[in-house]
Amino acid sequence: MRKKTYAAAALFAAAALTLSACGSGDDSNKPIADVSAEAGTGKAATVLDKAFEKPDLVLTDTNGKKYDFRAETKGVPTLIYFGYTHCPDVCPTTMSNLAVAKKQLPKTEQDKLRVVFVTTDPARDTPATLGKWLKGIDPTFVGLTGDFPTIQAGARTLGISIEPTAKDKNGKLVSVHGTQVIAFSPKTDGGYVIYGEDATVDDYTKDLPKLIKGENP
Amino acid sequence: MSRPGAPSRRLAGCVALTATALALAGCGSDDSSSNNAGKPELKITGAYMPAPVMDTMAAGFFTVTNSGGADTLTSVTSDLAPDVTLHSTKGGAMEEQKSFAVPADGSLDFASGGNHLMFEKLTHKPLEGEKVSVTLHFAKAGTVKVSMPVKSATYNPKTGH
Repeated sequence: MRKKTYAAAALFAAAALTLSACGSGDDSNKPIADVSAEAGTGKAATVLDKAFEKPDLVLTDTNGKKYDFRAETKGVPTLIYFGYTHCPDVCPTTMSNLAVAKKQLPKTEQDKLRVVFVTTDPARDTPATLGKWLKGIDPTFVGLTGDFPTIQAGARTLGISIEPTAKDKNGKLVSVHGTQVIAFSPKTDGGYVIYGEDATVDDYTKDLPKLIKGENP
Repeated sequence: MSRPGAPSRRLAGCVALTATALALAGCGSDDSSSNNAGKPELKITGAYMPAPVMDTMAAGFFTVTNSGGADTLTSVTSDLAPDVTLHSTKGGAMEEQKSFAVPADGSLDFASGGNHLMFEKLTHKPLEGEKVSVTLHFAKAGTVKVSMPVKSATYNPKTGH
C-alpha cells in the first residue's frame, strides 16, 4: 500500500513539475505581469484606499515656462504619466490612449481635464522636443522637463521608480518609463486612482467622465 | 509468496504514465531532445506596428508559433528603417537583446509592454493602413518575410481596435 502511495505521489509531482515548467517559459518577468493583471476584477482602474499627495514638482513646460504642478493643477482633474519621447512602445501608446479617450468627451468636459506628461529623460527631452512629440498626440497635453533628481523624487512619492538615462552595452542611450497613470481628484487633489499599462482606450473612455468629477470609476 | 517481477512492473507503469503526462503537456523543454534537432516549422501571426508619433522611431509586434524543432530569431531588417533592434522590457526599462529563442513546439511573443522591435531613423512616418515590409532572420529556418500592417496608435490586439 505504502509503495503505491509513493508511486502515485511521484506521478503527481511529475505532473506538477510539468505544469510549472509550462508556465515559466522564456521570459520570467511575464507571468508576474499576467498574474497582477488577472488578480483584478477585470477593471483597469485601481482605486487607492489612501490617496497619494500631489508631488512637489516645479519644472519647465513645453513653452520653456516654469510650471508648478501643485499650483497649476489645484482643483483640476489631472492625470500624470512619467515617460520619455525616445520610447517606441509603452509611452506613446499610453499617451495616445489618453488622447483618444479624451476626444470622446463633450468639449466642455475636455477643457476641464489636465493631462501631464513628465519626462524621465530630461537631457534629451528639451521643452522643444517634448512639445513636438506631444503635438503629434494631443497639443493640449502638458509636457514637463527639468532637473532629473527632482523628477525622480516626485515620481517616487507616487510609488513610481525611475532611473536616469544610461548607455547600454552597445553605447545606446536607454531611459526608463513609469508603468502607471495616476488620476488626481479635483475635489481632494489626492492621487486616488491608478491605471497600469494594460489600460485601453475603452477603459479610459469609460472612466474619464467619473474622474473629471472626482468620483470612483 | 512474493513475486519478484511485480514491483518493477508497477514501476514501469508509473514511468510510462509520467512520460505520457510530459508528452501531453507538450512543453518542448526537457523531453524534446529529438524535436530540438528537428526542423523548425514557423508561422508568424498578429504582426502590427502602432502608427508612430514621429519619424524618429516605431515599434513592431508579432507572434512566432513553432510546431517543429527549436530555432533562434537572430535579427530583423526592414525597408522602413536602417536600424531595427530587438528589445525585452522589464519594469519600464527596455534592454536590447542580440537574439530571442523560439522554443520547439512553442512560441515567441513580441507584445506591447514586453518584447518589441524598435525601428529607428525611419525613411518616413508610416500612416495607419500602410504595410511595412519586414524580414525576420532565423538561425535555422532562414528568412521569413512579413507584411506588417500599420494600425492606429492605440491599437490593442486583445480588443482588436
